[in-house]
Amino acid sequence: MADIDWSVFRVSLQVATLATVACVLLGTPIAWWIARARPVLGGMLSALALLPLVLPPVSVGYYLLYTLGRQSGVGRWLVDDAGLRLVFTWWGAGLAAAVVALPLFVRTAQAGFEQIPPSLLDVGATLASPRRRFLRVVLPLAWPSLAAATLIAFARAIGEFGATVVVAGSIPGQTRTVPAAIYEAVQAGRHGTANALALLTLAGGLLVLVALTAALRRARHA
Amino acid sequence: MTAAPAAAPLVSADFRLALGAFSLEFALEMQQETVVIFGPSGSGKSITLRAIAGLLRPDTGRIDIQGASMFDAARGVDVAPHLRPAAWVPQDLGLFPHLSVMENVLFGMPAAPDRERRARALLALTGVEALASRRPRTISGGQAQRVALARALARETPLLLLDEPFSALDEAIRDGLRRELRRLRRDLGRGAIFVTHDLREAYLLADRLVVLVDGRVRQSGPPDEPFLRPADREVATLMGFRNVYRAEVVAHGPDSVEVDFGGRRWRAASWAGEHAPPVGAAVDVGIRAERVALRRVPASEVESPNGVSATLVEDDGYGLHHLLRFQAPGDLSVEVDLPARPYSVLGVDAQREWTLELAPEDLHVMPATRSA
Repeated sequence: MADIDWSVFRVSLQVATLATVACVLLGTPIAWWIARARPVLGGMLSALALLPLVLPPVSVGYYLLYTLGRQSGVGRWLVDDAGLRLVFTWWGAGLAAAVVALPLFVRTAQAGFEQIPPSLLDVGATLASPRRRFLRVVLPLAWPSLAAATLIAFARAIGEFGATVVVAGSIPGQTRTVPAAIYEAVQAGRHGTANALALLTLAGGLLVLVALTAALRRARHA
Repeated sequence: MTAAPAAAPLVSADFRLALGAFSLEFALEMQQETVVIFGPSGSGKSITLRAIAGLLRPDTGRIDIQGASMFDAARGVDVAPHLRPAAWVPQDLGLFPHLSVMENVLFGMPAAPDRERRARALLALTGVEALASRRPRTISGGQAQRVALARALARETPLLLLDEPFSALDEAIRDGLRRELRRLRRDLGRGAIFVTHDLREAYLLADRLVVLVDGRVRQSGPPDEPFLRPADREVATLMGFRNVYRAEVVAHGPDSVEVDFGGRRWRAASWAGEHAPPVGAAVDVGIRAERVALRRVPASEVESPNGVSATLVEDDGYGLHHLLRFQAPGDLSVEVDLPARPYSVLGVDAQREWTLELAPEDLHVMPATRSA
């Protein structure tokens, strides 16, 4: 185990945390919007939000690489005007992981929102402003599903390889995540290292699974 | 809310709303009173209430509360539900499961230093003060109803919108709650629109009864109006008229009309609308089953002009009363609702042939509708 570069765990946690925060901030309003939209519109939005799920993560990474790089208008603005260089940074990797994890977050959160009885939302609308209703009625009633969605997004983000490696590469100490390190180790024939890293991800995965099961159980009994 | 001009009605509404194949046309002017919207399932009662509460947007028309415009399609006014001076209670009550009874009541209350005290007073008023710290899941249906009412009252709005709030409860509990609601309404001096498909409930609570059928207001007035003088056959049937016949007006008396029903001539002293229908008009005549009198004497000896000799063909006992069906020549079928006591005093079960008396003041004439 001597040749393990422990920084990969730090990078992985950074990437997954950033991705999860982005999913929660972006995915919660999207999920609420889909859950409350009319059936046709909701279906379309839902399909759009699911797109990254059916794309190979490498394709997602490729599109992001293109969008964030200077060859696109968005990228030029980001790099030249906003001074944000995301390509080949852990921020870029976090963004890529967020895009891949977002559909799973939205799906799970949406199911939680849709479970709230409509009459509670209606009563809420007659008693409070939309913002207060969301904070005091919707969020408390949907929180087990939101917690489950957050865990799923985190688990998906920490395991992401294809999209992150295309956008951010695998620079040791900077953008090399645990999955990237396993890939490198296998490529280099260092099977002992690959095995050790994989075992650690298994242990971490089991922990997330326990938490997820608990959250889902709460969601069902909510 | 804006201060209302003194003369403004509590609610003044006139709007149309289409939902899929269903369309609603509703108009109402009410003061501080209890208006009961009565109608069968699917007649648009809940939709009406939701539109007034601001949860559904009409296509055209307007809704004013206390003279302030809440909705006006022409001027693009649509006030958000929580800003309307109305408190809405849905059929399933909509108590928030994650909040205690007390927190539910506080939820819609305007911020004020003494709100907790006032919430407690409302819970006391509705008789559920002891449950303040309980979750809705742990209280009974009748208690939940009281909490929902307290929460609606806590909004301190001049108007309550109650959508069949008693529908999920046992009859015995409903009865108590109705009486309490009447008391509360009197004590608190607020207006209410109450939706129900229960005729007894409608009659008991209403200062004014609005009969809604298929999205149209068919009759509106003091409860006795539709109850005793329905506008047409359909309203009559809804109001529990079991006997309605197609007939023709043949003569006008001073306070009555004479109608012909298959060769029988009856005098009727009650009719829908201001004036009795003209001679020759096709009409529906109806009489409530409770208002038909049984006589032992032959029809010719009955003082009333409307005696009918008939044979008892069906006798359904419901414990406290009997529903009797009589058959008379000319395919005339009359249903009579008789309480158990007169039933046994008269000895109805010992005799088949009777004289039925249809008192003119109970025989009600309505303009004929196509579906005769």
